[in-house]
Amino acid sequence: MTDSMILMAEEAAERTFTIDGPLKSITFQFLGKEWVIAESVVTQWVVMVVLAVLFFILGRNLKLKPEGRRQVIAEWIVGFFTGYVETSMGQKYKRGYGPYIGALFCFIILSCLMGLFGLRNPTSDVSVTASWGIITFVLVLYTKIKTGGFKGYMKSFIEPMPFMLPFNIIGDFANPVAQALRLFGNNVSGMVIGGLVYFALGSFAIFVPAVLSLYFDLFSAVIQSYIFVTLTMSYVAMADMEE
Amino acid sequence: MGITLSAGETLQLVNINTDTIIFTLINTLIIFLIYRFFLHKPVMKILDERKEKIAGEMKAAEDAQAEAEAMKQEYFDKLKESREEAAQIVSAAVKRAGERENQILAEAQQEAADMKKKAEESIELEKKKAINEIKDQISDIVIMASEKVCEKEISKSDNEALINKFIAEVGNE
Repeated sequence: MTDSMILMAEEAAERTFTIDGPLKSITFQFLGKEWVIAESVVTQWVVMVVLAVLFFILGRNLKLKPEGRRQVIAEWIVGFFTGYVETSMGQKYKRGYGPYIGALFCFIILSCLMGLFGLRNPTSDVSVTASWGIITFVLVLYTKIKTGGFKGYMKSFIEPMPFMLPFNIIGDFANPVAQALRLFGNNVSGMVIGGLVYFALGSFAIFVPAVLSLYFDLFSAVIQSYIFVTLTMSYVAMADMEE
Repeated sequence: MGITLSAGETLQLVNINTDTIIFTLINTLIIFLIYRFFLHKPVMKILDERKEKIAGEMKAAEDAQAEAEAMKQEYFDKLKESREEAAQIVSAAVKRAGERENQILAEAQQEAADMKKKAEESIELEKKKAINEIKDQISDIVIMASEKVCEKEISKSDNEALINKFIAEVGNE
């Protein structure tokens, strides 16, 4: 090793790359407990305000005979999600799951797009994706008990054979966990890779980060939102013991 | 070049935070409710109303078409009926005309035959009359002539018998 190489290595060692978790934006005392509102929750509020305004504007003053692009867009959105739920879950879930899937998809996709505006993507916080995994878990549980009864639900653990019991128990938890981690992993890895590229390029970070951002924040966001809602629907549909 | 996932005033990068989970669940519920009541319900209502309206209009159109179909059928039936009636009227008229023609012809023939018969009868009568007249005249002339010729009075009865014999001979010729 020459001296210059050692020097370069020492210089490099001085620059460190760090990626922080979500900022503790607000902390407050309530019911004798210290509550932490993370950055990802604040970004969710931004997303919620945008979506609330958007839904309110799209959904009001609808005419029997559509007037203007606004109503066409509103009908397209609702029709798309109810149609998607109908094709992947069947007719009987159309009315109930259409709004949840539509709202969840809009929530996730807009959360991912927040990265483009310099805000922290809420889906790169595992607590956020875990919450949606919990919802899926609860929905699956509810559907199993509703369609099969409590006895049927218990029996489903030893089907098709009794030795499948541990796998079935793991399966019930593994699906929502995998679903949550998939969304989290994709988005956090996009954030990490983007940060690494910025770090590596230093002051030459001009074109490459934009292309990466286009992929991770736009393309991957759409794909991952789509996969997330599709998995939610297929888990619930599979849990239906009547079919 | 070390990579550290640091905390500081931040949370851990991979960290399950129950507060974040609770807030996210609340936020998701709120977004779900907003989507459901501000967008999903009004749109579904409009779509259902439109579906109903279209179904109603289609039914009305079908009814109208059925009615039109029925009216068309009726019209055709009536047309057919009236055509048949017209044909019947024409054929009846033709038949009647033919009968009338025959009747007129027969009457005319009858009349002509009557007239001919009458004419023949009157001709016969006239002829007889004329013959009788001629007979009388001839008998008178013959009497006068024979008186003149004979200058002799034959008894009138003998005379007449003679003459009638002669006339009968003449008349038979």
